[in-house]
Amino acid sequence: MRERTDAKVIREEILPYLAPRIKSLLKNREDRFFRGLEEIRLRREKPLCLKIGDKDYGINRRGEVTMNLNDSYVVNEEDIYRTIASISDNSLYVFEEDIKRGFITIPGGHRVGLAGQVIYKVNEIYNLKNFSGICFRIAREIKGCAENILPDIVENGRILNTLIISPPRCGKTTVLRDLARMISDGINLPEAKNVVIIDERSEIAGCYQGVPQLDVGIRSDVLDSCPKAAGILMAVRSLSPQVVITDEIGRQEDAAAVYECVNAGVAVIATVHARDIEELSKRPILRELLASKSFKVGVVLSRRRGPGTLEMFYRWD
Amino acid sequence: MMLWLKSAGVILVILSSGIWGLMGARNLQLRVEQLKDLRMALNFLEKEIAYMHTPLSSALRKTGYFCASPIRWLFLESAERLERKEGRTAYEAWLSGVYKLERASSLKTEDIELLKTGAMQIGISDVYEQRKFFSMLQEELKIMEEKAEKEAESGVKLWSYGGFILGAVIVLLFI
Repeated sequence: MRERTDAKVIREEILPYLAPRIKSLLKNREDRFFRGLEEIRLRREKPLCLKIGDKDYGINRRGEVTMNLNDSYVVNEEDIYRTIASISDNSLYVFEEDIKRGFITIPGGHRVGLAGQVIYKVNEIYNLKNFSGICFRIAREIKGCAENILPDIVENGRILNTLIISPPRCGKTTVLRDLARMISDGINLPEAKNVVIIDERSEIAGCYQGVPQLDVGIRSDVLDSCPKAAGILMAVRSLSPQVVITDEIGRQEDAAAVYECVNAGVAVIATVHARDIEELSKRPILRELLASKSFKVGVVLSRRRGPGTLEMFYRWD
Repeated sequence: MMLWLKSAGVILVILSSGIWGLMGARNLQLRVEQLKDLRMALNFLEKEIAYMHTPLSSALRKTGYFCASPIRWLFLESAERLERKEGRTAYEAWLSGVYKLERASSLKTEDIELLKTGAMQIGISDVYEQRKFFSMLQEELKIMEEKAEKEAESGVKLWSYGGFILGAVIVLLFI
């Protein structure tokens, strides 16, 4: 069932955006091939690379899957040009702001990361051009993946301020999305709650033109592409949330916004990059945030038994 | 009877070469009008792209509705190609539109070639680059238009009278 779902998503939402030659190499693959496919990477004059789990695979010109990347189809300039044209609907100017942030989100909530020549002006990225690399990251909804976490972050019907901790690619965002859905729909909770998602990188809700493409629940509002600190304050002022959900906090202004939020009676669920609590404590801003007891629960995830493996719970009471 | 036939033949030859000349003259005037329409249409498209940030296929369609035939075919054909979502790039869609325009308009090869140049840039760059591209194209078209106007000024009379004169010469040669 999972194989069919993955294959359907990739065939319908990813393959149409690939350059015709690459699409033809992938379209006739069996459904099971797409299970666990996390990334499709196109790099100019380099082998086509497919990330399945922790391994990289290629596809040779005969259409056979190979682990020898030197035998894989080599992506050329035209493939990059056609793929860029396709993901931007031939209208790159519409996506200027997204390109400055390094990615475009396509329908289905999949993120397409871009590499190329960065134009830097007045202390900020002004543009990205002469594209040399494209990375399709396949967004997956795993409904129910937060079922075993939710009971531990609820106390007397209230959501506790929670920090989800893991290195990249361990399923933080997938868990966060499922928590948003469950809290917003009132699944396994005495009552549903209003949720606001501050989705700076369009990863949690996978918004396309402002509309969530992934299921984040019926009582969720999304501030898409919004800087976290500004978004948290804006949400508290204007959307009367009971829970604010955001990804990857770490800057001073994020910490300040979290203080404001938790002291305004709004619960915060956030993620942060770190292997464990010890590693987290070595980052001054986060150490200060933890010491303030703003967060009550820490959830550590890893990839030990696949993305989203629950390693430990931590209480800062 | 013979005289009637001869007279009819003379009239036919003079009329047909005269009409041919008038059509040539009309083509010169039409080219000027079409270059002007094209320039205005590109200005409209530039605004849709640079200020409204309208996706290219919709911007081309809107421009097609904004302008008159035959210029509209360039934009409507390009829009249709893009809307089919068959993996065509803006460059390929634009060229299809240019070929359709070439068949339907009085534009010269040099005008068509100008439209083909830089087609690789359409849609696939930021607003600043798009504005630069469209401004340049409009400037080039303005120069073409001025040249075409001068050609029309001298050429219209030449073609209009020339057709009838050629007809008369042919008749004289055959008598």
